[in-house]
Amino acid sequence: MPQLGRAALLLSLGLVAYALIAGSIAAWKRRRRLALSAQNALLASFFSTAIAAGVLWSALARRDFSFVYVSEHISRKLPLGYALAAFWGGQEGSLLLWLLILSGYAALAVWLNRGTRELIAWVVPVLAGVAGFFAFMLCFVSSPFATAPAPADGAGMVPSLQNPYMLAHPPLLYLGYVGLTIPFAFAMGALLSRRTDERWIVATRRWTLAAWTFLGVGQLLGAHWAYVEIGWGGYYAWDPVENAALMPWLAATAFLHSVMIQEKRGMLKVWNMVLVALAFCLSIFGTFLTRSGVVNSIHSFSQSPLGGWFLGFIAICVVFSIGLIYLRLPMLRARTKLESLVSREATFLYNNLLLVAFCLTILWGVTYPLLTEALRGETRSVSKPYYNFFLHSFGLPLLLLMGIGPLVAWRRASLRALGRMFLIPFGVGAVTGIALIAAGFGSSPPGLLAYTFSAFVLASILLEFVRGRRAAGSIRRLVGRNRRRYGGYLVHAAIVLLAIGVAGSSSYQTVREKGLKPGQAMTVAGYTLTYLQLGQRQEANAIATRATIDVSRGGSHVTTLHPGKNTYPVEKQTSNEVSIYHDPRNLGDVFLIADQIDPGSNTLYLKALVKPLVNLIWAAGFLFVFGALVAMWPDAVEQRRLADRYAAGAVAA
Amino acid sequence: MRRSPARLVIALSVAAALAVFVLYTSIAGAGTPQIQPKDLAQHTGVVLLVGKVVSTGGDSHSPGGMHFVLRDVKNDSGKRARVVYHGTVPDPYRVGREVVVTGTLRNGVFVAQDGSLTTKCPSKYAPAKSKT
Repeated sequence: MPQLGRAALLLSLGLVAYALIAGSIAAWKRRRRLALSAQNALLASFFSTAIAAGVLWSALARRDFSFVYVSEHISRKLPLGYALAAFWGGQEGSLLLWLLILSGYAALAVWLNRGTRELIAWVVPVLAGVAGFFAFMLCFVSSPFATAPAPADGAGMVPSLQNPYMLAHPPLLYLGYVGLTIPFAFAMGALLSRRTDERWIVATRRWTLAAWTFLGVGQLLGAHWAYVEIGWGGYYAWDPVENAALMPWLAATAFLHSVMIQEKRGMLKVWNMVLVALAFCLSIFGTFLTRSGVVNSIHSFSQSPLGGWFLGFIAICVVFSIGLIYLRLPMLRARTKLESLVSREATFLYNNLLLVAFCLTILWGVTYPLLTEALRGETRSVSKPYYNFFLHSFGLPLLLLMGIGPLVAWRRASLRALGRMFLIPFGVGAVTGIALIAAGFGSSPPGLLAYTFSAFVLASILLEFVRGRRAAGSIRRLVGRNRRRYGGYLVHAAIVLLAIGVAGSSSYQTVREKGLKPGQAMTVAGYTLTYLQLGQRQEANAIATRATIDVSRGGSHVTTLHPGKNTYPVEKQTSNEVSIYHDPRNLGDVFLIADQIDPGSNTLYLKALVKPLVNLIWAAGFLFVFGALVAMWPDAVEQRRLADRYAAGAVAA
Repeated sequence: MRRSPARLVIALSVAAALAVFVLYTSIAGAGTPQIQPKDLAQHTGVVLLVGKVVSTGGDSHSPGGMHFVLRDVKNDSGKRARVVYHGTVPDPYRVGREVVVTGTLRNGVFVAQDGSLTTKCPSKYAPAKSKT
């Protein structure tokens, strides 16, 4: 079996190498049959990679400990679902997942766009180049098919990974990371083929949106996973590995907005090329961060020999992208100019600059230890206050712009029209702000601003729907006429919910901790927590110790919670098992952590957090996906419009 | 020919972003030094201490706190850092694990800030031990 896996990977490498070389020659010399052959090789590489993936999955399912990867990541007692999920639980497997998704995406993109001959001819070698790097790594640097004499049992899986989110969070993130390769390949293909009109954007709009959605949902699931599993009461720690996923998402967000300006006004062509290259390079940079161990992270992916390879590949991608954009600059001149600083396109530009500035400050923070070590010989790092400062500095204006942008006219807006458009949203925002100050929420200025701006944005979105419905007759018809626009509004509403949830749960949370003996109680934000007893039970692969806590408010029983710890004998590790009460009154949580348990004396050191509005963060995820689906949904009207505009070639958007 | 205001917007935005950045660094300083036990004696202010746990004892929630000893992660110099810590102890914490803790050196003991201890998750993407 391992031989089959290795052979399949070598075949994948051979196929993508052929697609790279033959595809480049075919595109250069305009040889159609050779180009088709290169496309077929890229398609075939998906199937050979799928065979390799099948071999690894089969070994994990059969607990074949002669595979080093299997023996190091699972044990006999580990439930089957987690054993299969161990595919992406380790370095070699996750690289194979990357190649599998990339070859699948590449095959689909080539298949859907085979009508756009000149563009796709150059897209194939770019995709093959990226796939070739990963195939090479898997064949010669980090193989998942290494073997050794099989031990009696494997090392098992880290307890914190034994969570249902392990099944969804990493693959979704990878679908996002890898998905950014497609718009990058089309952008580079457009430059190489000198087809720098909007066709590459149209061809990749849904790809970008899908990758961006996967990356966003993947991060949100990861945040929820950390929240319910890690047991520290937070959901985002500004850790370099978390930032690694946020940075390409921010760059892709900027790109999704600025391509609208290019489509509508023929502007920002260079900027869009830079953004798509930035998003792609940051996705590779994230992979480098997680595998090189060059920066300290709680996720610690340890020192490995992969860092240098990834750094080299990033350098090639950056030089290639910048060089190509520079060479094609004369073709990337804007058709029109920004006519006014008060216009829809100007607000999109402000939005882009804020997003990119935020992205780059995060990048600066992540690489700061490396830079200071290289320049000053002393490693220095920045932490939460640094990131929070820039989140407030750039995030709050971004939130405000979400409410302003959609209401401002294209080209040039008059002050009278602006006054008319903003009267109601501004009034709602102002009343909300004053009411919040009166209610005592002024203790946190960023929180107060976030709530006020959120009210303004929600009012402006609602107003757009009301005005549109009046004109269209029904919401369904309104959305059907312009799915992209109204899907975008729904995503904006989701971001507002997210902002409200983050502001509420961070700026207005209450934390208390206390050592308790059975019968003793503590209070937190109006709740009384009474420690009743300690119990223990045997689970499938762990010993579960749980405290019973009675939660009451105003003398009335609310619920009973069971925070505790799991002890995993095979893995020789302990994990915190938090217990959460979702309070429907304030959409928040009562979050209990059994920080320390002494079974001998039954003493419990309990940490309690009350986090108002935190559930809006998770609710935002559903609205985010719904809005993205609306925006991505096939639109016959749009297809006809695009077909008219680009009558020369078919476009699979 | 009249120039596009886009250039002005970009220039002003870059200037504004730089101003915000300078403001931050002037107020908050330029990061916290991240050191190993071998360099601890040379730093008097707040530092991030990175090390491997050699021995541990005590209760992090008791007045006396938890005491542990750290060694260098890379190229062990033989120097050890004695740490006293109060607050939450992460699940993966134990002897042999790599930890990061924020604090200050006082009278030869590194006094950690409450709740600042983080432990690296040891398994993910660690290099394989033996291969054929």
